[in-house]
Amino acid sequence: MVAAAVAATLLAGCGAGAAAPDASSSSPAGGASGETLVVYTNSNGEGRGEWLAKKAAEAGFKIEIVGAGGADATNKLIAEKNNPIADVAFGLNNMYFAQVKAADAIEPYEPAWAGEVDASLADSDDDKAYWPLVKQAILLGYNSDKITAEQAPKDWTDLWSKDEFKTRYERVTGLGTATAQLVFAGILSRYKDDSGDLGISDEGWKQVEQYFQNGSPAVAKTDLFARIASGDVDMGQMPSSIVAEREKSFKVNVETVVPSVGVPLAVEQVALVKGTDKKEQAQKFIDWFGSADVQGEWAQQFNSMPVNKNAAAKAKPEVVEFFDGLKQQDIDWNFVQENMGAWVEKIELEYMT
Amino acid sequence: MSGTPAKSMLRSPFILIVGAVLTWFIAAFLVWPNANVLIETFFPDGNFSGRAAEKLFSSQRAMKSLGNSFLLAVALSITVNVVGIFIVLVTHYFRIRGSRILFLGYATTFIYGGIVLAAGYKFIYGEKGIVTTFLLTIFPGMEPGWFSGFFAVLAVMTFATTTNHMLFVANALKGVDYQTIEAARNLGASTWTILRRIVLPMLKPTLFAVTILSFLTGLGALSAPQVLGGRDFQTITPMILTFTNSPTSRDLAALLAVILGVATILMLAVMSRLEKGGTYFSVSKVSSALQKQKITNPAANVAVHAAAYLLFAVYTLPVVLIVLFSFADGAAIQAGRLSLDSLTVDNYVRVLTQPSGLRPFVISVIYSAVAAVIAVGGLLFVARILQKHKNWVTAVFEYLLHIPWILPSALLALGLIISYDHPNPLVGGAVLTGTTVILLIAFVTVKIPFTLRMLKASFASVNSSLEEAAAIMGAKTLYVFRRILLPLVLPAAAAIAALNFNSMLDDYDTAIFLAHPLVQPLGLVIKANTDGAEGVDGVSNTFVYTVLLMVITGLTMYLVYGRSGRRPGGRGRSKGRKNGGPLAAPGTAAPALPVVEAPDAKASAPSPVP
Repeated sequence: MVAAAVAATLLAGCGAGAAAPDASSSSPAGGASGETLVVYTNSNGEGRGEWLAKKAAEAGFKIEIVGAGGADATNKLIAEKNNPIADVAFGLNNMYFAQVKAADAIEPYEPAWAGEVDASLADSDDDKAYWPLVKQAILLGYNSDKITAEQAPKDWTDLWSKDEFKTRYERVTGLGTATAQLVFAGILSRYKDDSGDLGISDEGWKQVEQYFQNGSPAVAKTDLFARIASGDVDMGQMPSSIVAEREKSFKVNVETVVPSVGVPLAVEQVALVKGTDKKEQAQKFIDWFGSADVQGEWAQQFNSMPVNKNAAAKAKPEVVEFFDGLKQQDIDWNFVQENMGAWVEKIELEYMT
Repeated sequence: MSGTPAKSMLRSPFILIVGAVLTWFIAAFLVWPNANVLIETFFPDGNFSGRAAEKLFSSQRAMKSLGNSFLLAVALSITVNVVGIFIVLVTHYFRIRGSRILFLGYATTFIYGGIVLAAGYKFIYGEKGIVTTFLLTIFPGMEPGWFSGFFAVLAVMTFATTTNHMLFVANALKGVDYQTIEAARNLGASTWTILRRIVLPMLKPTLFAVTILSFLTGLGALSAPQVLGGRDFQTITPMILTFTNSPTSRDLAALLAVILGVATILMLAVMSRLEKGGTYFSVSKVSSALQKQKITNPAANVAVHAAAYLLFAVYTLPVVLIVLFSFADGAAIQAGRLSLDSLTVDNYVRVLTQPSGLRPFVISVIYSAVAAVIAVGGLLFVARILQKHKNWVTAVFEYLLHIPWILPSALLALGLIISYDHPNPLVGGAVLTGTTVILLIAFVTVKIPFTLRMLKASFASVNSSLEEAAAIMGAKTLYVFRRILLPLVLPAAAAIAALNFNSMLDDYDTAIFLAHPLVQPLGLVIKANTDGAEGVDGVSNTFVYTVLLMVITGLTMYLVYGRSGRRPGGRGRSKGRKNGGPLAAPGTAAPALPVVEAPDAKASAPSPVP
């Protein structure tokens, strides 16, 4: 009997231990955290998160940023839809937000600055739930110290169809990142064929096969620019916003290819999380964050290209100039969103080596 | 240790209470959430689809990667044992010059791992690595990329995963009765025969347990194949991670995970069968502590010394380079170039002066410590019962407790979210998502299988006659547990807790889904600062965080081992212990002559029972 009582006490001790961090570290979310807005984003790196928290505090918003990769943030928003923890999400591109919306985890809201952005870059449904903030071009870049503009490839397809590039480009080893998925969206959507496998013609899949049969596989934890600098490879995929900074860090010069069909644009968006108990505050935050002033400062600070027309004036002139001259590839995003999951699966299973 | 019928087991109130708590825990946190996530995955609209199997089995890449993972798992089970037993013997069994220094070198695997470890080996043996450059001057025709593929992955993972041997096998070795060895030698047995016929058989339960862990490590290999595997040797884990993240392909991830899980369970069953029926403790009436053996054959002695020091170099070089590179800039790290004059503390300043500061470190330390203590504390009772009573009920419980080994942690986390995002009677109607408790639950559950295996192994090498003696003298179950068993397994329990603690410090996969937004642990901060797409500082930040984590984990190991190892041992044959190096954790057998050096001095021998 005594033994049983002691055992019970010991186990109760364990139970109390389980509850301990709850009491000691902080109060649980959901109302108790006061008016702190929880913001999910994949765009918090390189000081963006801290910068935003500081600016928001100056404007009277108390925010807590939860950073996660694009896919993680998407899965988290969807998993938590029955009892949401976030109030606002931003930074995810249209492909990710389309998934979140399909899972019914964000709700329509028209921000105060809706008139200042190109609505065609936002949610394509009538009840728009996500709105565009920042444009990002997905580019093919090459080492311009080694390759002249004339010698350079003119399009992605040149990489595997022309012998001189076959071993000189870096190819991805996984399709987990948004950039890689957008590259394939850009290539595959040229071969749309309703009778083909997953809506893509055999010719299109042959391109993917060729992409993976050639090229130099990416190396974990070694940046493409580091490999360009060391002469391992001469070209590869890159989002527009990183080019200038990495050129400086790795002391290389990189030019980008603009294929005749144009380049895919990823558009980072913002949305109101469905079921938040701080809806009014969250809406005010979205109105503030997407406004021309804040987006202009953000662009100035982080070399980004704002979608808000009034903010473009405050962005870096070279960035604005680059995007002005850029031909955007015409991509049927609904088609891409519907099929991307299946495409990634097929590529991972059948073509990657 | 023979089987107890399930019915008679139920007469003990101790077992009933532990059983009730355990049943609830397993149902609420192991079965229910994971069943939910698997049902949602395999029966998306209520109907089962065989799509996943069809897709996977027709994919050449998936099959090849899966085959590679299995190959690695089997090979690693062998190589880790070979290297692991060797380093344990040279640090704890043979008389080797400088064994303390050797121990410190081999112990470096306690404090780091993952992608940075793989990168560390690449700095040395990779195409532009130090050793490769040196070899090229001697053999100009050599292939610079020699260190890649299966061989390289196996080598790196072998050297990286001997931690369990150093902790647990070394600990079990101290329990070997020296009198038996002396007797054997008097009868003319050679060093080799003594090793093979006396020493190794006594280590079996621990060797079985660490072999399962090596197998599992091989199956789950991620960063070493990514960095060193090259085109021909990629494993299945990266594919599982990609598919876990894609809702439309999650069934493939789950199926792959289940395949690996079933293999692990099969391995477990085989090992349990091998382990059954053996006697793994000293049976002599008066046993004595191990003394280090001199290798009598001079040639063998030189060879063993040479091999020991060569291994020492293999173990320590990557750590030295990682620490050095953590002071270099990101571009230099990625190019693998190191110039001593360009080293600065900028990286450390940048990481440590972030606005979030030390808070994430503190949060992770608290979470990991609490989770490690709960897992080990709770399972002490469970492991004891499972080890003592062997029948179908305990077998079922034991297998259920291994569920967390089957699914990747992201799926475990998703299971907890979908099960506890609404009031659930299993937890008294509480909503767990959005609280700080849910991450703690995940941390505890993830660590259960490892903790259970190692605790069970250490209970297995406790001499049951002590317990019987105490029971005959009238000691109650809990008294025997507290005063006799606990002191004997405490060193192993402390080691397990320390390893659990270390492994959770930088967790990302679980924390990303379950962390409270205001209480974000270190893993999330590390990820934000080190992701490939986060700029050139990312790579140097990775190294800085690795070194900072090395400091924390090194400190943990020191607190658990270093101090107790240096405590003057007034009892028993201190000579044998002194040579045992900092890991002077006591043997688990032979308490008749108290070689036990438990923190609680009173606990060394069975005291008279009132």
